[in-house]
Amino acid sequence: MQIFNEIAVLLGKELKLEWRNKYAISGILLYVGATIFIVYMAFVEMEPLTWIILFWIIMLFASINAIVKSFVQESKSRQLYYYTLVNPTALLTAKIIYNTLLLLLIGLLTWGGLSLFVGNAVVNLRPFLLAVGLGSLGFSVTFTFISAISAKTDNSASLMAILSFPLIIPILVTLVNLSKNAIEPLASEGVQSDINMLLAIDLIVVGMSLLLYPYLWRD
Amino acid sequence: MGNLSWWKWLGVALIIYTFIAGMLVPLQHGIVEVTPRSARTGEQVILKLTGYNSHYDQGSDGLKAWLKLDNERALGASSIKVLSPRELSIGFNIPAYLPVDKRVQDFSLILDSQEDGTAILPTALLVTQDSIDPEKGISIWTNSPINDLKVSTGMTFPFRPIIYETIRNTYFHVALWLSMMILFIAAVVYSVRYVRNPLPIWDSKARAFTSVGLFFGILGLVTGMVWAKYTWGQAWSNDVKQITTAIALLVYLAYFILRSAFEDPEKKGRISAVYNIFAFALLIPLIYVIPRMVDSLHPGAGGNPAFGSEDLDNTMRMIFYPAIIGWALIGAWIANLQYRMDAVKEEWIERLD
Repeated sequence: MQIFNEIAVLLGKELKLEWRNKYAISGILLYVGATIFIVYMAFVEMEPLTWIILFWIIMLFASINAIVKSFVQESKSRQLYYYTLVNPTALLTAKIIYNTLLLLLIGLLTWGGLSLFVGNAVVNLRPFLLAVGLGSLGFSVTFTFISAISAKTDNSASLMAILSFPLIIPILVTLVNLSKNAIEPLASEGVQSDINMLLAIDLIVVGMSLLLYPYLWRD
Repeated sequence: MGNLSWWKWLGVALIIYTFIAGMLVPLQHGIVEVTPRSARTGEQVILKLTGYNSHYDQGSDGLKAWLKLDNERALGASSIKVLSPRELSIGFNIPAYLPVDKRVQDFSLILDSQEDGTAILPTALLVTQDSIDPEKGISIWTNSPINDLKVSTGMTFPFRPIIYETIRNTYFHVALWLSMMILFIAAVVYSVRYVRNPLPIWDSKARAFTSVGLFFGILGLVTGMVWAKYTWGQAWSNDVKQITTAIALLVYLAYFILRSAFEDPEKKGRISAVYNIFAFALLIPLIYVIPRMVDSLHPGAGGNPAFGSEDLDNTMRMIFYPAIIGWALIGAWIANLQYRMDAVKEEWIERLD
């Protein structure tokens, strides 16, 4: 189907661009590395719960940084070129997939960095990876849509933070609850409903953004 | 009658009616407290009862009391003594054996008064039996069937434990939220219309309805906090429903921040219309779906419908539905003024050019 082709091509383009100039990823890695180092200097040892919270705070800010760049980086003339060529839904989907992969990578690197400096607090691997995966998807979907909206205005970054703040709260709360299962040896029963809720929020945001993006597009 | 449309008068009338009727109708006769709460088999227990909206000293011969075991069996009172208009001393002879298998059985207390009507306190008394013998219990049970309960004819509000008089807040808190929903639906309809046909009037109307909806939402949240202070103990208890509704209101607040970031009216209108639709799509799961999935103090959690037939009876319905309509009409009037102001401002700006 044509739309899948378009998505695949656009995704390939994003990945290739990134690989060639590594602009976004190097900035973010620097940010993550610096934060982890500062954290290490402050708490040489930490409780597992503190580890989880810090992990998600670092992820949150890295995500905002990462995704702001995704729309802001495109110049006006190139946007016009895309408008004539591709289906807007394809473009949005490609950006969402790319951002999810980027955030997954950042998540794993953050985990690695934190483990190197402060030790690994993760006991149950499966819930943790699930949380990182769902979190990447959730952040990516929310932030991509919001950054699509705020890229139209002049002061993108702060507006994006304001717009995304209410949406991020339920995702973050659910993620922290889910991650708590990863640090304790015993898994608890509340996991399934948290996962369901995360998936539901993700689906709603994805659905709405896919539906509404074509209207934002005409500019 | 001036230049006001009929619906504005109707809105004002309904709100005045809501305030007057909502505040003045008395509560039904109820039982506030009973001491002691537990007894043993084979003893005579004297229950001291405190009533609400009761006049026990008038018509004291019309008082009857039962301890209800189930729909067929009840124990009649052996003595009823009136201590004051609100206090009674009721004596029951608990038989030596109960016709049940359990060690501890709960009984509901039913009090019927010819003056005030019937009052029920569920699980008023827990009776412990040391030796369990259901058959003996059945044979010695003297049943006094509950009948001839006085049906009250006046208009009263239901009496609910813990809630007491604050049940009147239903006309403010719940009615405000429901009329907020109506206003947000209007806002999203105008947003959709703007997206399909970018006329400034649709954007103006969408913005007006969103702002009034947000205002009513904040009022609803505040009335909810006042209610929580008196029934749950604290105004903000990080309850799921409180948090998700606060998030929903923040999303709508961000709508206005978004609008302020644009200069060009067409761009402003289009982007904010898209955001409005998005915000409405989030509103539904945030306010209705997520709180039902999680346990919460708020009525309508953990799988129950939010507002069942248990919570509202016919006397309350008579004021509740007009209250919703009244608030919605007042909200629509405020929105109407806002978008007419916008149109006038536009005209003035054009004339100055």
